Amino acid sequence: MVKTQLLVVGGGPAGLAAADTAASLGIQVLLVDEGRSLGGQLVKQTHKFFGSGEHHAGVRGIDIPQLLLKEGQDKITFKLNTTVIGCYQDRVLTALTGEDEYFKISPQAAIFATGASEKFLAFPGNDLPGVYGAGAVQTLMNQYGVLPGNRVLMVGAGNIGIIVSYQLLQAGVQVAAVVEAAPQIGGYLVHASKLARAGVPILTRHTILAARGKEAVESAVIARLDDNWQVVPGSQQELEVDVVCLAVGLSPVVDLLRQAGCRTRYVPELGGDVPVRDSLLRTSQEWIYVAGDVAGVEEASAAMVEGRLAGAAAAKQLGADVAAADEIIARSQASLKALRGGPVGEKIRSGIAKLEGGIANA
Amino acid sequence: MTKMSADVVIVGGGIIGCATAYYLAKQGVTDVVVVERDFLASGSTGRCGAGVRQQWGLKMNILLAKESIKAFETLNEELDTGLDIEFKQQGYLMLAYTEKMVEQYKKNVALQQSLDVPARLISPAEAREIVPYLNTDGLLAATFCPTDGHINPFTTTNSYAIAARRLGVRIMTGTEVTGIEVKDGRVVAVETSAGKIHTNAVLNASGGYSREVAAMAGVDLPTYPERHQILVTEPVAPIQGPMVISLHHGFYCQQTPHGSFIMGFGDPNELKEHVVSSTWHFMEEMAAKVLPVLPPLAQLRVVRQWAGLYNMSPDAQPILGEAPACRGFYNAVGFSGHGFMLGPVTGMLMAELISGKEPHIDISPLSLERFEKGELLREPSVV
Ligand SMILES: Cc1cc2nc3c(=O)[nH]c(=O)nc-3n(C[C@H](O)[C@H](O)[C@H](O)COP(=O)(O)OP(=O)(O)OC[C@H]3O[C@@H](n4cnc5c(N)ncnc54)[C@H](O)[C@@H]3O)c2cc1C
Ligand SMILES: Cc1cc2nc3c(=O)[nH]c(=O)nc-3n(C[C@H](O)[C@H](O)[C@H](O)COP(=O)(O)OP(=O)(O)OC[C@H]3O[C@@H](n4cnc5c(N)ncnc54)[C@H](O)[C@@H]3O)c2cc1C
Repeated sequence: MVKTQLLVVGGGPAGLAAADTAASLGIQVLLVDEGRSLGGQLVKQTHKFFGSGEHHAGVRGIDIPQLLLKEGQDKITFKLNTTVIGCYQDRVLTALTGEDEYFKISPQAAIFATGASEKFLAFPGNDLPGVYGAGAVQTLMNQYGVLPGNRVLMVGAGNIGIIVSYQLLQAGVQVAAVVEAAPQIGGYLVHASKLARAGVPILTRHTILAARGKEAVESAVIARLDDNWQVVPGSQQELEVDVVCLAVGLSPVVDLLRQAGCRTRYVPELGGDVPVRDSLLRTSQEWIYVAGDVAGVEEASAAMVEGRLAGAAAAKQLGADVAAADEIIARSQASLKALRGGPVGEKIRSGIAKLEGGIANA
Repeated sequence: MTKMSADVVIVGGGIIGCATAYYLAKQGVTDVVVVERDFLASGSTGRCGAGVRQQWGLKMNILLAKESIKAFETLNEELDTGLDIEFKQQGYLMLAYTEKMVEQYKKNVALQQSLDVPARLISPAEAREIVPYLNTDGLLAATFCPTDGHINPFTTTNSYAIAARRLGVRIMTGTEVTGIEVKDGRVVAVETSAGKIHTNAVLNASGGYSREVAAMAGVDLPTYPERHQILVTEPVAPIQGPMVISLHHGFYCQQTPHGSFIMGFGDPNELKEHVVSSTWHFMEEMAAKVLPVLPPLAQLRVVRQWAGLYNMSPDAQPILGEAPACRGFYNAVGFSGHGFMLGPVTGMLMAELISGKEPHIDISPLSLERFEKGELLREPSVV
């Protein structure tokens, strides 16, 4: 049984910021991540980040992990290639390094920063080889240098769909079209215009009906949608593609939290079932905190600040210097408020409002 | 709220509640309401191993299981819902590791054969012919009955529910029974979170909550919940036909038709509370118990573990019948870990009893009164 003061599950921006903050407050931290390198989603992001300078905007995502780990490095033990596979109510977690090394962890507190997983769509042929999630395409290309195919249909014109389409173009892959069921593009316009300039059609009010092919994807059928999201008869067209890439949203990875007995609630604004927590990101299990996309799908900047907040709150619970912890807590809460201010943050604000006071009355 | 009434209200939408609803309707009693707090099969039924065996040591259990298996064999055709109950009828292999157990199994097999159940005592070598990777170290003998097997509890419960609905039964899911009204020693109504239902007959089919539901009618049941844990692996090509069960180790292990292995064991120290969380101890002990006997399973990844409740009675046998203290209040509870396989026959018997007919199998030994009279039943072959 591995003992540690604080366990951080997930080494994306949220987990790294949490571990760094708690360690800088003198707490012994064990950080595990199932990947072979730190950074979570960041390691796939070859583009320069949007957001404010304080949160590393303008830096490529890939370079952010180094920036995040500055102060407490020597108090953090990293265990990569390690998946947490169980989280039990007696405060024991089970983990697997590679396929064979099984061990248990008994922490005094834990921060879950497990991120989000991709949503899938139901259509005939969706199990053919060649149908990918956008995250998988990114991992293949940006982490392992493998092209997913030659010609892609991208489904979804949110930020991820648009950015991954652009990265595909950069890698020399053709993008036949981007289809988007909503009447407008969800992603930032800067990225969308880059695609448009490269001649990629972005078809709003369009969806995929089927993927076709014998052994793998050979074509995809798309169609136009009317105001009631119904297929317009006769609008079907078949595109010759060997890859269908789905970028239709993310949902928080809450399985382990559920197993641990943390209450969750369905909040569509935050991506689906999210853990109920208080303003310090503490869940209904008093030893478990959450930070980042697992607490509600947002952006890396918010994930980092949530990591700092949860890291400081957990450190305080574990006996760290109260004044120092409180200072970070206050700064992080103010920073989150600023990040979520304005019309862009409206959705996130209303989602979080649904969870406030949730522990007491969930 | 509109005034509701029914000839029969069934509390619980597991295998027992749904099967009884179907057999009642089949007999013409169609004014039946099933009230289920969560969703169908959300209780023990959807959490169970769904093994069905006739290899028991008690005549009553053999007869009940035999009749159930006969019903399971033709259930797809009878209920005709398009769903498949996935009855994998490739036997139960029961392992014996002590002389005492061999003696008991010999007696059991003799009794089973006298009741036309095709079970037989076999040698360790014969057991290996049935499960080639079985490690027979320490194994003295085994019994095998080819007509036993295991089933998909979800499609079975849903099939019963669909067929019952087709005959007019109403099924209210997401609805909790909160009280039972009794007047002059007789049931008159059931209170639910969706309003009151007037009725003169209530069936308690609430599984792990049997004691709490009976208490609503002023009936004191000697039942209690006991957590049991279970796990499922990734699917692989079919390699194991029968359910393998070792009462010595206390485990059972099957391969479902789609290839996953499902296994569990009985732990005497389990919580006797309404708790269905999982433990890491279970994972580790399960592996330690099953791997020496079925070594190749070491290569499988576990995909999920969960837990459910046994509804235990003092003699680990079901309690069937009308409660003496309250007319119109029927119990079909206390199945003590083998209630799935008794689903069809229990449904038929309870339907007969509630509609005023003589049950076609004498179930008076399973009455609640047996505990007061001290006439406990003893089944020697339980996990
Ligand atoms: C294409 C794309 C572009 C983006 N662009 C931007 C941008 O420009 N600006 C911006 O602010 N945001 C952007 N984001 C969003 C940003 O990447 C995420 O919001 C952020 O990474 C969330 O951080 P996180 O730490 O919560 O989760 P993640 O980065 O997802 O990290 C979670 C980590 O947890 C690990 N993990 C999960 N489960 C387990 C387990 N059981 N055991 C061990 N480890 C586990 C995972 O391996 C992963 O490393 C983009 C996202 C995508 C997909
Ligand atoms: C791990 C495990 C393995 C098992 N393996 C086997 C096996 O291999 N073979 C076998 O035959 N049996 C097995 N069993 C036992 C079997 O699961 C049960 O005996 C059987 O499912 C009981 O069915 P039921 O309908 O009585 O109860 P349940 O399926 O528990 O149904 C009772 C229902 O009542 C509902 N309810 C409770 N209170 C209320 C209320 N107040 N209002 C409304 N609804 C209420 C519950 O939500 C529940 O859905 C196993 C059990 C477990 C836990």
